Amino acid sequence: MTSNNQDWLDKNTFHHGEFWDILKLVEEKEKKGLSISLCIPTLNEEKTIGKEVLILRSELMERYPLVDEFAVIDSGSSDKTLEVASNFGADVYLSSDILQEVGDKRGKGENLWKAIHQLKGDIICYVDADISNIHPRFVYGLVAPLIRRDEVSYVKAFYDRPLNYSSGLRSSGGGRVTEILIRPLFSLFYPELTNIVQPLSGEYAARREVLETIPFPIGYGVETSHLLDLYEKFGIETFAQTDLDRRVHRNQTTNALGKMSFGILQTFFNRLHAQGKIDQIPSLETFYRRFEVEDGAYSQIVQEVIEEERPPMMEIEGYQNRKAGK
Amino acid sequence: MTIESTTKDLNLENLLKEIPFLIENLREARETYLTDAVLLGEIPAPTFGEEERIRLAIDRFRENGLDDPEIDEFGNASGILPGTVGSSSILVMAHADSVFNAETRHVLNVGSDFMTGPGIADNAIGMAAVVGLPKLLNQLGIKLKDDLLLLINTKSLGRANLEGARGFLETKQRPIRAGICVEGAEQGRLSYSGLGALRGEITLILPGNYDWNSFGASGAITHLTRLVNQVMEIPVPKEPKTKMTFGEIHSGSSFNTSPKSGMLRFEITSEGDEVINEMEKQVLEICEQFSLETGTKVELEVVARRANCGIPFSHPLVKSTRRIMNETGIIPKVDPSTGDLNVIIRAGHPGVTLGLTTAENLREQNETIHLEPLYSGMAQLITLLQAIDQGICE
Repeated sequence: MTSNNQDWLDKNTFHHGEFWDILKLVEEKEKKGLSISLCIPTLNEEKTIGKEVLILRSELMERYPLVDEFAVIDSGSSDKTLEVASNFGADVYLSSDILQEVGDKRGKGENLWKAIHQLKGDIICYVDADISNIHPRFVYGLVAPLIRRDEVSYVKAFYDRPLNYSSGLRSSGGGRVTEILIRPLFSLFYPELTNIVQPLSGEYAARREVLETIPFPIGYGVETSHLLDLYEKFGIETFAQTDLDRRVHRNQTTNALGKMSFGILQTFFNRLHAQGKIDQIPSLETFYRRFEVEDGAYSQIVQEVIEEERPPMMEIEGYQNRKAGK
Repeated sequence: MTIESTTKDLNLENLLKEIPFLIENLREARETYLTDAVLLGEIPAPTFGEEERIRLAIDRFRENGLDDPEIDEFGNASGILPGTVGSSSILVMAHADSVFNAETRHVLNVGSDFMTGPGIADNAIGMAAVVGLPKLLNQLGIKLKDDLLLLINTKSLGRANLEGARGFLETKQRPIRAGICVEGAEQGRLSYSGLGALRGEITLILPGNYDWNSFGASGAITHLTRLVNQVMEIPVPKEPKTKMTFGEIHSGSSFNTSPKSGMLRFEITSEGDEVINEMEKQVLEICEQFSLETGTKVELEVVARRANCGIPFSHPLVKSTRRIMNETGIIPKVDPSTGDLNVIIRAGHPGVTLGLTTAENLREQNETIHLEPLYSGMAQLITLLQAIDQGICE
């Protein structure tokens, strides 16, 4: 590891325990005149959304007013996600109702992008809806570096204390896609970004002023594209990361991870080309192909995965008008 | 005397009239105690391993406005909300320990009208109600004259023999007007007496020189089964009401190996202390005789013992509790306690145990409480607290 990398890790890697004094964070936030919005993107999350809304609202809005606005932005759940979230006091929005003039696309990235328009905070914190051991640290651990360090614009979560372990160093502890796809790609093309322990974690907080300047893939590539685009614009110093200890969530099948990797690769190659790191790429296929075996017979399963992207929010007229107070 | 009781009735009537509003306010304020139920309930706290849960309870006491909460030498968390007069105290307590071991996945789910997960009813929601009381009373604009002594006690269940509550009351020298034990379930529970109980553990071991060739030789499971059959022959009287429960048995590790040891846990509960003593003697005799006849080592260890105690059905505390329950729409069900209420009453204080809500799958991983009845259950607790504070329950 180079000394620069080590410096960055030492300076920009936190543990949520450093921010246990939430009242102090609230005071610092108010002193700087910052407002914070919390967004949970959902699609059929009735089993876990109730607890997330209950805990985060109660602890971070009622008990300690760290969060000023709390919204669930839904992609059209067919279960009781919206009813449960609303029951526990979240502001609930259908993604399709936001910025109707730009249409509706289906994907988590769409909800995150539309949150920039719908929510008012200077800082937006995104938390996935499928965390079964939700705790206030999932939010205060991410927004705290943004409150304390003006030069930091984007804070990623990582989990399970992967760096220092009682028995010594162990591997980085990312998920399967991180370890066999993202980390090798970063090592090849963006070595500094390998400092991000879990680049695909679904929990992050960022300043509005940077979020509104970058495009949002609506599907699997959104987390990767954020890192690549912000790195290109602002360099590694804009990032920080916080160890949030343990995260319990659904485990995805290998098939689902293959499809996810396919989407991420589309985003990645497009960025490589746009940033001049490779000269040209052929037109990329959008069909992900894999095999299934049933009764000894192989058959190919073909699924279309199109990584559409939304442009930077700043370019949307409706958003410009909103910001201008029109 | 007549004048005093009339005044008391009037006071109680006034409190009863407020119950519908109280229920609505407690529904509005539910985040306070539901959140704590999740945060406390997701920390494993097997009996003798409650430290982390107790640390959170102490933090909550502090955050909810108690000045000087403390963890005592028994591991209990307690704190005092000073009353406007403060000449005596009302004790409200809930036990912190759970029947689930630390390896159990302590994840709770929250739906619109239910909460599910190990220990939510017994006793995460009970604890949450107690740690939330200072904040709730403040939100409701209720100021008590008495000091409110809040306790989250450890070592209540299983082998612990109520050590936490006993240690607290033996060392905490405060004038206590009355005590309320809060359990998550079952709503309607009204305990005002502590049931005599004995918990025993029988260990059976085949010695190293056990003669596997002799007639009748067998492994520990077979021996334990015979032993249980013999213990079951002990007559269990209907009067005084008595019950013997075989709660746990362990032996063996595979299909085809005769185990060399085994363990049986049982409980005798009875309204007659003399019956418990007599049955204990008989169990002991059976163990000794069985040991001699089979060449096995059989030991009986009494891990918990408590004598019968209680306050009368006609005690003003019980009477007021029943009236409050009725007014809240809760049907009282008299149920003698084998839990911490014993300690309160044996320490000379009147006390009751209340259940907050209805529940399903008790002591299973999918233990579930219902939220709608919980608001009435919370209202019953707070109204009873006010009634005790008004001196209506003496």
